[in-house]
Amino acid sequence: MLGQGTRLYWAIQWRRNEGLGALFLVLAVFAVIYAILFPGILAVGAMAKFVQGWFPTAMVAAAETMVMLTGGIDLSVGPMVSLGSVVGASTMQGPLGIFGGVLALLALGTSVGAIVGAFVAIGRYPAIIVTLALSFVLRGVALLIMRRPGGFVPPSLSEFLAGSHPTAAVLVVLLVLLWKFYQATPLGIGLIAVGDNAEGAYRSGVSVTTVRISAYIISANLQAFTGLYVAAQTGSGDPLIGEPLTLSAIAAAVLGGVGFLGGQGAMRGALAGSLLMSILINVMFFMGLPLVAQYVVQGLIIVATVALPLIRASLRRAS
Amino acid sequence: MHQPILEARSVSKAFFGNPVLHEVSIELVAGRIHALLGENGAGKSTLINLLSGTLRPDGGQILVDGRPIASLTPQEAHQLGIAVVQQELSLAPHLSIAENIGLGAYPRRGGVVDYGRLAAAVAEIGKELDLVESPDTPVGRLPLGRRQIVEIAKALSIKPRVLILDEPTSSLSAPDVAILMKLVRRLRDRAVAILYISHRLNEILDFCDHVTVLKDGSVTADRPLAGLDPDGLIRLMVGRDPRNLFPPYVSRASGDLVVETKGFRAGGAVDVDFELYRGEIFGIGGLVGHGQEDFMMGLYGAIRAEAEQFRVFANGAAVRSAPFAKVADANAVGVAYVPADRRKEGLLLPHSIDFNLLLPLFASHSAERRKGAQETAITERLAQRLNIRGDRRRQAQALSGGNQQKVALSKWLALEPSVLLLNDPTRGVDVETKREIYLALRAMAAEGKAVVLLSSDTPELVHLCDRVMVFNKGRVAATLSHAEASEEAIVAAAMGVRKAPTLQGEAV
Repeated sequence: MLGQGTRLYWAIQWRRNEGLGALFLVLAVFAVIYAILFPGILAVGAMAKFVQGWFPTAMVAAAETMVMLTGGIDLSVGPMVSLGSVVGASTMQGPLGIFGGVLALLALGTSVGAIVGAFVAIGRYPAIIVTLALSFVLRGVALLIMRRPGGFVPPSLSEFLAGSHPTAAVLVVLLVLLWKFYQATPLGIGLIAVGDNAEGAYRSGVSVTTVRISAYIISANLQAFTGLYVAAQTGSGDPLIGEPLTLSAIAAAVLGGVGFLGGQGAMRGALAGSLLMSILINVMFFMGLPLVAQYVVQGLIIVATVALPLIRASLRRAS
Repeated sequence: MHQPILEARSVSKAFFGNPVLHEVSIELVAGRIHALLGENGAGKSTLINLLSGTLRPDGGQILVDGRPIASLTPQEAHQLGIAVVQQELSLAPHLSIAENIGLGAYPRRGGVVDYGRLAAAVAEIGKELDLVESPDTPVGRLPLGRRQIVEIAKALSIKPRVLILDEPTSSLSAPDVAILMKLVRRLRDRAVAILYISHRLNEILDFCDHVTVLKDGSVTADRPLAGLDPDGLIRLMVGRDPRNLFPPYVSRASGDLVVETKGFRAGGAVDVDFELYRGEIFGIGGLVGHGQEDFMMGLYGAIRAEAEQFRVFANGAAVRSAPFAKVADANAVGVAYVPADRRKEGLLLPHSIDFNLLLPLFASHSAERRKGAQETAITERLAQRLNIRGDRRRQAQALSGGNQQKVALSKWLALEPSVLLLNDPTRGVDVETKREIYLALRAMAAEGKAVVLLSSDTPELVHLCDRVMVFNKGRVAATLSHAEASEEAIVAAAMGVRKAPTLQGEAV
């Protein structure tokens, strides 16, 4: 990419900030409030812990965004993360160790993503049905493998991923860079084209099927490795640990301006949305609200973000 | 010009057992602008889809450079240099102009889009098409006409050897049409084979070399255009003298006032004084977006409207003295509206023709049980009035555009409305159906209904209407009597030209 091309790429990427100003502003305000309420967060160690808490939500928000951009949705995020944690924690005891676990997770993510992608892209089944049904399958399989939390994640891996190092922060940066790279490939641009106008993209020579299936495969891999990360945080696998993440993933994406109809939204919005929710939940926790109150808040966030533009539009029409 | 670049050889195609194309052949030759003509439903779109790989023929062959291609896909078509400018745009509104132009055929370097070459290509095409917008602009930000230009730029970006243009000018402004025409001629001189579909006969006569006419899925003419005039073209399409397109003008207007407004304003329309009489066909003209559509929507209660005076009469008595607050109020006093976008607003496409025809009646009979026999009688009668043929249990989407419009129009007749507001009822409708709609409008006027006809087709306003009101910048620029309403007078008023309407009778 030479001068003119680089300029064009970044100009296009910059235009995607349109409509996200308010979110970034709210995020900044809450970050400041959080820092004022709990100044301890500004220490390096506390910051690393905070990022570790946020990281799984950021990962699943990214996974959900990829699928939603194509006009789909994934309701099996939570069970997939659980299954990832269970598979990771049970395979790392095997002869191949960490390497074997990573291979198993790659196989899991790729096969599940390919199956869902095939149903949606080739079979034309609605993603909402396929992934809802799949969520029960995955939850069941996770429970069949591990009735209760167990297995084993090597302490070295736990320490590397979720110890005192800022590994999670590096991973977030890596995630963003990879996404920027993907957005410069025909497949990455295809995500938005397919979500916006699948028929038109097909007639333009875009392989709609490939775009969709790749999106589901990458998304499922992100989810599976989120499972590994969560397992590393606790040191063991847990067949139910991912459950709240389905809602978090959708809430973060929607809060970040990713539309339900496809084509609309940007990854930075979803990441900002997940960060805002993490801060909210932390604030709620420190203020002594019960942890389960986060479900109420997340549900309300989804309804409010969907309703707000509609209310604004009707007000504008009335005036 | 010997061997055609792209050729269809006796291709046939059927959908769900309905034959759409029957043994159709067409040859696209380098350096020739080839017009494809036919009424809606004649199979033009299907033929384009076969030529561009979007659909595969049931029988026959597609040949490129004389070589049969077994199953052409859109991707292969691209690689072979076949580009299509679709009527339904193939753009992604959330992607930038540059990304849209390159879509499906990005220049690459090591798997990554080569933005440098993309930018250069976009700049080059942009210059040819006067595309002044910055290439990073999301396409969704552009007005419809500019999007059409992007669509054309996208087709050109693959340096096509064959360019298929499906009604490219229907949403373009006059200067953009001129740019397009110049470009197409330049491409012809560069030995590109061009297939040009348009309902504007003058355009076709202006700059096409050869014409293929489709009727009911078969080729009825394949000849050079030289020596043909518009009447000749229409005769090829319908096999009928075009003078019969409009029924003879007879005024049925009476002196009974039905609607009266003073100082009416709604949306972009301001200060409209308007009187409508029983039996009248009242035309509304003007360039798109000058307030005439808002006026009609306001009149119907679909958008907020205010007026110094607003009255609706039934049997000589005023039944309404304020603008309608909602559509149901308008329906209740016999005012019905037929929208321009029949697919989105006019019909429930997945439902049967019968169901669509009955829909307006359900509102007034909501508490009753449905009675099958009675319903059949009603739909039978409605279908007859506008000549809707075939099985009415079919889904509305199975019908061609023209037939859909007939259903959208006739469903309101069940309510026996006294005022019919029609928003461009013949847009994108074939000549045969146009004629049927004109006859139906005449018949309604003869029954004493008042018809308000908003139209982008000036000849309709000239030949059908008792009076024509022309909008310019939200205001009424002129209200012309039938005798005053010539095409020139209407266009002049719409453009805001202060010109005394020339008195001339029926210009046929």
